[in-house]
Amino acid sequence: MVISPVHYVAVPLLAAFLMPLLSKINREFVRIIPGLVLIYLGYVSVTLMNQLAETGTIVETIAGWSAPFGINLVFSPFTGFLASMMTAMAFIIWIYSYRFKKVDSEPAQRFYILQMMLVTGTIGIVLTGDIFNFFVFMEITAISAYALTAFYRHRDGAEAGFKYLLIGSFASTFILLAIVLLYSQVGTLNMAEIAQRMHTVPMPMKVSILILFLVGLGIEAEMFPLNGWAPDAYSQAPGPVGVTFAALVVKAGVYGLIRVVYTLFDIPSVGEFLIIMGAVTLVISEVAALKQTNIKRMLAYSSIGQMGVVLIAFGIGTTEAVFGALFLMFNHAIIKGLLFMSGSYLVYNNPEKEIKYLSGYGMKMPVISLFFSLGALAIVGLPPFAGFWSKLYILMSAADSSLYGLIALILAVSIIEIVYYFRVVGRLYFGKPAEGSIMHKATPGGIIAMSILSITILVVGFYPDIISSYIHNAAEALLDKAQYIENVLPSVNDLTQIQN
Amino acid sequence: MSSIDYNQIMSIGIYGSAIGLILIGLYAVLMKKHLTKIVIGLSIIDAGIHLLFVAIGYIDNGTAPIFSPKGLEMMAAGKTMVDPVPQALVLTAIVIGFGVTAVALSLVIRLYRHNKTARIDQIKSLKW
Amino acid sequence: MKKVLVILMLAVIGYSLGTSFSTIKFGENRIGDPKEEKNVAAYYLNRTPDELSVANVITAIVVNYRGFDTLGEVSVLFLAATGLGSILYRRRKKGEHPEVITKPASQLLQSGSKLIYPAILVLGAYVFIHGHLTPGGGFQGGAIIATGLLLMMMAYKDFEIRHNVLTWVESIAGITFVSLGLTGLIYGKTFLENFLPTGNINDVVSGGIIPIIYIAVGFKVAAELAGVLETLLSNKEND
Repeated sequence: MVISPVHYVAVPLLAAFLMPLLSKINREFVRIIPGLVLIYLGYVSVTLMNQLAETGTIVETIAGWSAPFGINLVFSPFTGFLASMMTAMAFIIWIYSYRFKKVDSEPAQRFYILQMMLVTGTIGIVLTGDIFNFFVFMEITAISAYALTAFYRHRDGAEAGFKYLLIGSFASTFILLAIVLLYSQVGTLNMAEIAQRMHTVPMPMKVSILILFLVGLGIEAEMFPLNGWAPDAYSQAPGPVGVTFAALVVKAGVYGLIRVVYTLFDIPSVGEFLIIMGAVTLVISEVAALKQTNIKRMLAYSSIGQMGVVLIAFGIGTTEAVFGALFLMFNHAIIKGLLFMSGSYLVYNNPEKEIKYLSGYGMKMPVISLFFSLGALAIVGLPPFAGFWSKLYILMSAADSSLYGLIALILAVSIIEIVYYFRVVGRLYFGKPAEGSIMHKATPGGIIAMSILSITILVVGFYPDIISSYIHNAAEALLDKAQYIENVLPSVNDLTQIQN
Repeated sequence: MSSIDYNQIMSIGIYGSAIGLILIGLYAVLMKKHLTKIVIGLSIIDAGIHLLFVAIGYIDNGTAPIFSPKGLEMMAAGKTMVDPVPQALVLTAIVIGFGVTAVALSLVIRLYRHNKTARIDQIKSLKW
Repeated sequence: MKKVLVILMLAVIGYSLGTSFSTIKFGENRIGDPKEEKNVAAYYLNRTPDELSVANVITAIVVNYRGFDTLGEVSVLFLAATGLGSILYRRRKKGEHPEVITKPASQLLQSGSKLIYPAILVLGAYVFIHGHLTPGGGFQGGAIIATGLLLMMMAYKDFEIRHNVLTWVESIAGITFVSLGLTGLIYGKTFLENFLPTGNINDVVSGGIIPIIYIAVGFKVAAELAGVLETLLSNKEND
């Protein structure tokens, strides 16, 4: 059997359907199967990336009908990079979540099914070449996310989940409306063909559709003012789920936004709009992060701010800026992942997750505190950690486009970041431990996961060239709309079914 | 009446009711205090969008896109077939909407159990 | 005050939607002549009877041309049922038996449902077996069957479908679907490609794997909906 992009979706789905049956044979299977699936997907990623380097973008048709008559999956330097990154992060999250909290076996089975489908949904979003298929995968991701947010019984999970559901449903509504209007105009659902036919759509209609897409996808990408759901969802969800939200789900949302803006539409001033919205998102969320006393909410607002920077960089639109944006997405996934992972352990027995209870933990939980501090240093962009490079490239691209105001803004916000992160670190190491505070020993899986992330942060910090070639190809693939169309649509007059 | 007026009436009727459904659903979601009513509002919004989608696919003097013996008869009599794609997409969308509604209702049950009330203004432990 | 703002916003949304849709002429033929195949819809209408031997074009689209979407949809259902189970999960105390409804149903409901129940099941099965010939299909048929089950659940306190059975049906149906797709992959074709002979149009056995997939989907939907209903109905009120 040839390894192809559809394995990313078909194999986890098969495993998810099998889990209820296999859990009857042996309770422990449910914890192991996701790991096996992800290892296999890792192998798929490596194989496909190699194939990509040799033969170029892989376009796979489903059910034998060539695009645009069937659905197709596109594994390009851009989407393939994202998919591989998500697979790797998902695997690390699985290691982390192995025995994270003692749950009864029946919910454990459901937890792993939902978690696996959450990952599958995000990878599907990134790989698909069809706009309605994109919507379906978005819904897969959304439903898993709603259910996982409300997973724990004793917290306010249900309320956060319900709020997430309401706002997420608005996102789906807007995107579906946009698809309705779009189909009525271009008569196709294939992204490449939509891009091709976009010039035939009258401008007012184009603007309406774009606005609907921006609102719907902005909710998923946590753009201001549509990100109200995020702090609650991140803070109420179980630890590993919060990591998945920050590292995978929001990336898929940003991907959707970018794909629509760059590939489907051709309106030039959208870039400026993105810069403005990104800047507003950045400022408001970083200031909000400053005021938070709950560590997970603080991290959530910080994530939103980082996505604001990503939007700014995508808005600038030069190859260098897109390179910086993708690098930042990669860095954010691993660094924020590390922060959420260590943060969850720091406040494990602390139901309100308040920072003020963390006094003196530096002595009592030295390893985890070290991980957290490493993450904090990395995310504010200090060399020689990974975060430094992404910030540098984005600032350089802003300088090249003479957007000096942006440089000042990003640097000013970095200072705010330093303040609230080092507030936590300082309390960890210099505070006096409160009486009777209980800490929780991390599982071996947790330590391994956090170590992997830390090492990656250090390695990428010292040798950014390890991944920068991949990211560079990804940036070029994203910006090259003509190439995308050419890859997906064979000669437009050829309508015969592809035989093998 | 000339055929143009008929078409206008039909389009206002169908588009109007679909958009009306969406607006009614939006009103319910935004203004109602009882959680179940909010969930019902979401369902109504979905219904409106689905109706809109199917309406896009309609073609005048069209028949169902099925090649049954009866269908072939109608084709021979000169009727065209309506656009099948929106109907297929709506099929998927309806099921997805059902899934979301099911999860929403289970969350409402959880919230009710926890707070002994199902009114949104009395459940406010998180900042809204 | 809030009411005024909301109404204002709704008016704006309604107006913009209205103007957008008024530019889309109702009933306009945007497909053109199917033979010319100017866009996807024309292609589907033209090719389905010859290449797939399936009468119902929508079934062909849902199961074959856009079968991947249907796979996603089936997983959404599966996730909804799983999510429901995880959200409403409560540890069963010893000896606690899940109670269904406490008030007995009226005589009309009880005798009537006994009569109608078999008919509903047959109708549902008919709909999803003939999905490729008549309007309907797996989802519709499965929903009909689930409605019949709901009727029995409401009429009779003791009507219980064992969760085991539902889980088995659900999983096996889902696995069938994905396996059919993977079989296509193994034999060197693409995922979900039709690898069985297509037969003559308007026969019950036609269309290759399409009826098989739809039957699996019908079972899955029925099992899932019944599972969801059971989870919702068997929860006691006091925590």
